[in-house]
Amino acid sequence: MSLHALADHPFAAPRSLAEACALLAERAARGERTVLLAGGTDWIVEQHLAPAPAADAPLPLVADVSRLAELRGVAERGDAIRIGAGTTFLELRRDPLVTARLPLLAAAARDVGAIQIQARGTLAGNLATGSPAADGVAALGALDAVLELASVRGTRRVPIAAFYTGYRRNVLLPDELIAAVEVVPPAPGSPFAWRKVGTRQAQAISKVALAAVAELDRSEGPGARLTRLGLGMASVAPTVVFLPEVRALGLGRPLASIDDEALAAATLAGISPIDDVRSTASYRRHVAVALVRRFFESLRAPS
Amino acid sequence: MGSDKGDDDRLDGREGVSRRGFLGSVVPAAVGVAVAAEAEGAPKAVPAEPVAKAGEPLKATLRVNGRVHHVLVEPRATLLSVLREELGLTGTKPGCERGECGACTVLIDGVPRYSCLTLALEASGKEVTTVEGLMNGEELGPTQRAFAEEDAFQCGYCTPGQVMAAEGLLRANPSPALDEIRLGMSGNLCRCGAYAHVFNAVAKAAELRKGR
Repeated sequence: MSLHALADHPFAAPRSLAEACALLAERAARGERTVLLAGGTDWIVEQHLAPAPAADAPLPLVADVSRLAELRGVAERGDAIRIGAGTTFLELRRDPLVTARLPLLAAAARDVGAIQIQARGTLAGNLATGSPAADGVAALGALDAVLELASVRGTRRVPIAAFYTGYRRNVLLPDELIAAVEVVPPAPGSPFAWRKVGTRQAQAISKVALAAVAELDRSEGPGARLTRLGLGMASVAPTVVFLPEVRALGLGRPLASIDDEALAAATLAGISPIDDVRSTASYRRHVAVALVRRFFESLRAPS
Repeated sequence: MGSDKGDDDRLDGREGVSRRGFLGSVVPAAVGVAVAAEAEGAPKAVPAEPVAKAGEPLKATLRVNGRVHHVLVEPRATLLSVLREELGLTGTKPGCERGECGACTVLIDGVPRYSCLTLALEASGKEVTTVEGLMNGEELGPTQRAFAEEDAFQCGYCTPGQVMAAEGLLRANPSPALDEIRLGMSGNLCRCGAYAHVFNAVAKAAELRKGR
């Protein structure tokens, strides 16, 4: 934002998670809106694109949470890895725990914008903005991440599949913020795919993106079957989608018995793409089916 | 990232306050923060001074190009505006001011960052490097010299940002391959289309830096 737009907004910089929650609670109780500013790579950009607000409409308070240490960092917690919601994509792709245990997330983080955007954009920003094209959300969806929502009332945990309710809408209450995400990493060496189809190789919003992860039981030889399957697909519906039909089709069944036709039907059942400035609905359907089919082909290939 | 509203190309025709006007302006924003009643499992409230408020400048210590500056910073001021208008370092250019073009790229702790999307307070206590900081006294530094020698610009407006992105890339990766150069420079746009020369300049800069 430019400075011009930011100058119009009331502003606060809470110095702790508790202060941020208190601020949200106080404003929510008065029915006042608050925008949490972390990297600013979505909200600031949107201020340029949004129509000018009506002169008498109260502007939201902008609360800068970019420097809250409590929202940063990656750590093991039991079987899971807990990632602070304010962790940037650059921090993610350079974090040894993420690169070793969550290579899918590291790969997606490498494809989010250029380095200047990766150094600004945060996981929570990606989640809260809820763009249908959000690469980070697709990756977290494939990993079945659980979101930790904090408020002065305490914390609650929401699976990512239950977080979105529609185009850029989610279950966050006005006094809540996303504090962290937790992901149970797949077994070491598990197959995964990160495929981003866009106009440029970098700094491009996806036409279609697929994040996928699987755990494979090969003990039965040709009867290899999936014991874990997660998928997230961006830019094919009003929200990032998690392809439950494909999961249901693929999980627990011998891989060899899953034919391409059924896979295509299950993929199409989970998406509802549109024509827009970046691509067309029919191209997106074609690519979505191809990306899922190729992931399954890679699983069937002997390793 | 970014908007999916299909209106990426729309231009903003709104007129804003001038930046200079903004820095001098006082914006009403009374935000009191009550200490929250603590619920089970709720984040612990810390006793604290009042939160930063709009219109109330805060003391900040900025280390820019090795010099320490003690400045009063409006909490909403971007690093870009403080560099240019408080510290007089106008080498860093405002372009799109929405994190797309890269003209405002500086290094923060060695990492290329868009200074238009970074609040100045965020850089407090960190090492900021601007294009002015790459000089060897009165001489151009190696990355700057490579851009001049390879004609890596036409109008030159994006050049300081391109140079800083190149500098950040080469500090992290002193010998990048062409595809690494292309990726490392992907956050910087050149409307004159001098990209091929920019990539040559980065490769040349890698050589010159080793010859130092």
